[in-house]
Amino acid sequence: MIVAERKPIRRVLEAIEPYQRVLVLGCRGCVAICSAGGDREVETMAAALRLARKRAGRPLETGEATLIRQCDPEYLAPLREWADKYEAVVSMACGVGVNLIADLFPEIRVYPGVDTTFYGANTALGEWQEKCRGCGDCILDLTGGLCPIARCAKNLLNGPCGGSQGGRCEIRPEVPCVWHQIYERLSARGELDRLMNFFPAKDWRPAGHGGPRDRIREDLKMDK
Amino acid sequence: MAVTIGVLCCHYTNQAGEEDFQGIPGTVIVRRYPCSGHIEVADILRTFEEGAEAVLVAGCEAESCHNLSGSQRAEKKVQGARKILEEIGLEPERVRFAFLPRLDTGPFMEEVKKTFEIALTMKSKS
Amino acid sequence: MEPRSHLHRVLSEGHFAVTAEIGPPKSADGEVVRKKARLIKGYVDAANITDCQTAIVRMSSIASAVLVMAEGVEPVIQMTCRDRNRIGIQADLLGAAALGVKNLLCITGDHQKFGNHPEAKGVFDLDSIQLLDMVRRMRDEGKFMCGEDLTGARPEFFLGAAANPFADPFEFRVKRLAKKIAAGAEFIQTQIVYNVERFRKFMEMARDMGLTEKAYILAGITPPKSFGMARYMKYFVPGLDVPDEILKRMKEAKDKREEGINLAVEIIQQVREIPGVAGVHIMAIEWEEAVPEIVKRAGLHPRPLEAEVRPAVVVEVEKPVERVEVVAPPAEEVPEEAPPKVEIPVEAVKEVFSTVRSSIESLREGVNLLHDSLARLERALLGGEVVPAEVPEVPRVEVKVEERPPVEEKPVEVKEVPEEKEKEVVEEKKVEEEKPAEEVEARVEEKPAVEEKPPVEEKPEEKPAVEVREEKPAEKPPVEEKPAPPAEGVEIGSFSGEYRPLSERAAGLPEDLYKEPGTAFIREVEIGKGEKAFKVGGTNVLPFHLFEGEMRHEPRVAMEILDVKPENWPESLARYFADVLDDPAAWARKCVETYGAEALCIYLMGTDPNYLNLDAQHAREVVEKVAGAVDVPLIVWGSGHAEKDVEVLREVAEVVGDRGAVIGPVEEANHRTLGATAMGYGLPVVASSPIDVNLAKQLNILLENVGVALDKILMDPSIGALGYGLEYTYSVMERIRLAALYAQDDKLQVPFICNVGREVWKAKEAGLPSDETMGDQEVRGVLMEAITSVALALAGGDLFIMRHPKAIELTKLIIKELMQQN
Repeated sequence: MIVAERKPIRRVLEAIEPYQRVLVLGCRGCVAICSAGGDREVETMAAALRLARKRAGRPLETGEATLIRQCDPEYLAPLREWADKYEAVVSMACGVGVNLIADLFPEIRVYPGVDTTFYGANTALGEWQEKCRGCGDCILDLTGGLCPIARCAKNLLNGPCGGSQGGRCEIRPEVPCVWHQIYERLSARGELDRLMNFFPAKDWRPAGHGGPRDRIREDLKMDK
Repeated sequence: MAVTIGVLCCHYTNQAGEEDFQGIPGTVIVRRYPCSGHIEVADILRTFEEGAEAVLVAGCEAESCHNLSGSQRAEKKVQGARKILEEIGLEPERVRFAFLPRLDTGPFMEEVKKTFEIALTMKSKS
Repeated sequence: MEPRSHLHRVLSEGHFAVTAEIGPPKSADGEVVRKKARLIKGYVDAANITDCQTAIVRMSSIASAVLVMAEGVEPVIQMTCRDRNRIGIQADLLGAAALGVKNLLCITGDHQKFGNHPEAKGVFDLDSIQLLDMVRRMRDEGKFMCGEDLTGARPEFFLGAAANPFADPFEFRVKRLAKKIAAGAEFIQTQIVYNVERFRKFMEMARDMGLTEKAYILAGITPPKSFGMARYMKYFVPGLDVPDEILKRMKEAKDKREEGINLAVEIIQQVREIPGVAGVHIMAIEWEEAVPEIVKRAGLHPRPLEAEVRPAVVVEVEKPVERVEVVAPPAEEVPEEAPPKVEIPVEAVKEVFSTVRSSIESLREGVNLLHDSLARLERALLGGEVVPAEVPEVPRVEVKVEERPPVEEKPVEVKEVPEEKEKEVVEEKKVEEEKPAEEVEARVEEKPAVEEKPPVEEKPEEKPAVEVREEKPAEKPPVEEKPAPPAEGVEIGSFSGEYRPLSERAAGLPEDLYKEPGTAFIREVEIGKGEKAFKVGGTNVLPFHLFEGEMRHEPRVAMEILDVKPENWPESLARYFADVLDDPAAWARKCVETYGAEALCIYLMGTDPNYLNLDAQHAREVVEKVAGAVDVPLIVWGSGHAEKDVEVLREVAEVVGDRGAVIGPVEEANHRTLGATAMGYGLPVVASSPIDVNLAKQLNILLENVGVALDKILMDPSIGALGYGLEYTYSVMERIRLAALYAQDDKLQVPFICNVGREVWKAKEAGLPSDETMGDQEVRGVLMEAITSVALALAGGDLFIMRHPKAIELTKLIIKELMQQN
């Protein structure tokens, strides 16, 4: 899932400073599952904003709603009606939702309520870890299913660097060295020779260094 | 100077009636929940919105919670609320959590009084 | 404040400054940089050294700057944010300052996708404004970016930044400039100014914001080197505004370079009048030798102050090397004088030699120019024939002529092989065995005819005289007679019957009952240039519906030749070209002179990475030869390997740029690069997409987006031969044409090109031997090719690439008859 984290309320307050009526808009997709932008977080954000503004002597009126998804124009449709009632929208969805609202409704002032952090897994209650970086050219088939792009601080592709000590990464000791893990996994499978192959320099274009990415599935696309 | 405080608690920690609050020289907003674990950060913030200068969240003592870990969750929620208060420029100590024995009004009223004192301090500061 | 550099001093004393640009080489050859520096020395106050411009790997800016300093020119190093993070940048700048570099231009840098390592990870840790801010703090506050103290010598750079007055949004450009100045920019070099009016507005806004008081603004100047370059800049360089007037002047100018210099001088004079413009920055891209001329003519020479370039430490190491070089050549004259000159400072001696050296360089340039002019003159006088320039090739041709007798024997041998095979396989070959025998005889008859040609051809090549042209028509009649001999295999009949116009047959019916012309015309695309050029397209009706509309141009056929000798052409096809298959030039000539080809398609099969993987140079040579041998329009068809074709066709475009040749195939994968190449030379392209209406349309849109005009596009829908998906192709082409003519789909209003020959002759049936069931091999192949072409002509095909002379004859005959309805 796409993992996100509530933005510091101060930043959101600054963004909506000029407005009296604001819609706090949640998303039941990834951000709800990672407890950053679902119903509860919408309530909390709205209450916090109102409280801050009340204390500042400039009361704020908020609307609260949570859509099934914000990354799909279909689910954003109700915004068209609500837009008239509010001067601004604080989207609690990931950056995709904020962008899509901005794309589809140029007249709506939309501000982010969360910081989108990474693609991760819910590894324990209240804990999420990055597992994928969406680099567009998956090599997990070669690395025992563990990603060195997302999980190695230097994105190394030819084995661990000199900072790998006791299976830990030099960056933060609580982080395991993914290359150490890959090594152990392939070693246990008797596939170590895979690691002996030179892994040539990666093409970073599919990872976004070639500009914004898109994907087209011709068989689904309708003409105009 | 009218001072308001909020008390969010579970049924078991608060059996206090109207007369118990008579001794508090201000307004007390009382909200009872089936379990303190059900108290959300938003509920705490809303109580402040309603005018409370300080809020007490009370739950059963850790080992006696009816729902096993409800009061421990409530304590964490209070931490979350404190963080938000801080972010918006309010003193985090305005909200506090108390583990209380079940069905005993005495210790409960002690905590209410402490909370009221904090509220008074906060009010006089602002 | 003490000026930070010579450039700073020139500007601060109020002189109109001149800077130029030196692009380091794509090699470790320092002499290239030194030479460029010597060229502009004394004409500029400082020279920018680009930092891997357009993201192409070149010698580093800082290292080049040291070489430039050694030549007595003050460098402005450029630093981009693309290749280094804040750690690398700070380190390199400390180094540059230690080496004596005084000026620094901070830019974000072109994205790596534009360069030769598009797969690289772009760093962009900082942007140009953050970079300026960081360097200013290092210099003025003695702080690294992290806040730590920079103790000891600080990098005392005169800080510059770039500004583009022509990018969008226009109003924000000045504000961004203000941001750069606030961050630390002391001088600004702008994007190339062609639109002086817009630049004037930009300067007005800059003055209003007080920016001209805070920074020196130098206007960017680039002399266009050719019409192609001007056009390329207009259509393909984002953020560059080239008014039509400039294009027009470059197009009409006889001497393009002279006009380019004129334009640059005029623009300098105009911008000089604009208040707040403190100087000019001349970017003569790969044309540094134009700089002195421009500076002189603009009245900016000599430069006001003598540059005191303090050579860096490294330079001292180089000096001995320099001395060896310099002393060696004049050794004969100087040795006696040398001893008394001991007192003269080394710098002065170096100066003298450097001047002499650059004079020699100029002379050499002059001689080269003379060579070029001479070649051009000869070409002009000889009517496009590049004969004199390629004198060495003449003997080659002769050699081949001499080789021909042995070549005659080869076909006979080749013939024997199939015979043997046939014997092994089937035994019912009595009839067939007779046939080859006949064919051999026929060939013997052909040969004399072929042999007659070479002597005729030799004549014009031996006489590089003006009269060559006149002789040619005289040769042609015999040439036209020649198609007869090889005709033995297949006979082409003629149409019989009489055409009754529809108007007659439908007499009495109102016209609008049966007439429904399209609502738009297919665009006309010009193939080739000059007398033999022709157009395709220009129709507003379905093919041959002449009763209801117009077909301005009939469908055409281009004959296909290959860059390498084909290996698997069936004998029934190869025999027509047996004597020329390994010589593209002779092959081309045979197509034109013997078979009357009105256009040629050179298929660069040999460059295919999955085949012979021959390089771009090979392609260039083949195309050069063919272009030199014939004057009909050319189509150059790459291997179809998207990446390789970019490389190959780029090279080829240079050769056929002035021939208006069609290049392709352009696919989605390489449309940007090939589109740019084609636009640079104004060439039409073949847009190839896999049998699909939407994909064809999408590719046209993509090409248009990068600036290729629709009337420079031929659509190749990827066709299937008879029996190999012809009906599928037919239906897709028909749908495209209907959308174009009747549904106002303007992105599809483009002619079709159909690569028929290749598809037909690779089909198994075209190569199967003659037998009772399958009939005669050659008749079969010819019919397959002709039927495919005619069917596709009925679907809307405008230009066909074909192989077999008889199939072409048949196709043209049918087209001709179909066109004669009225």
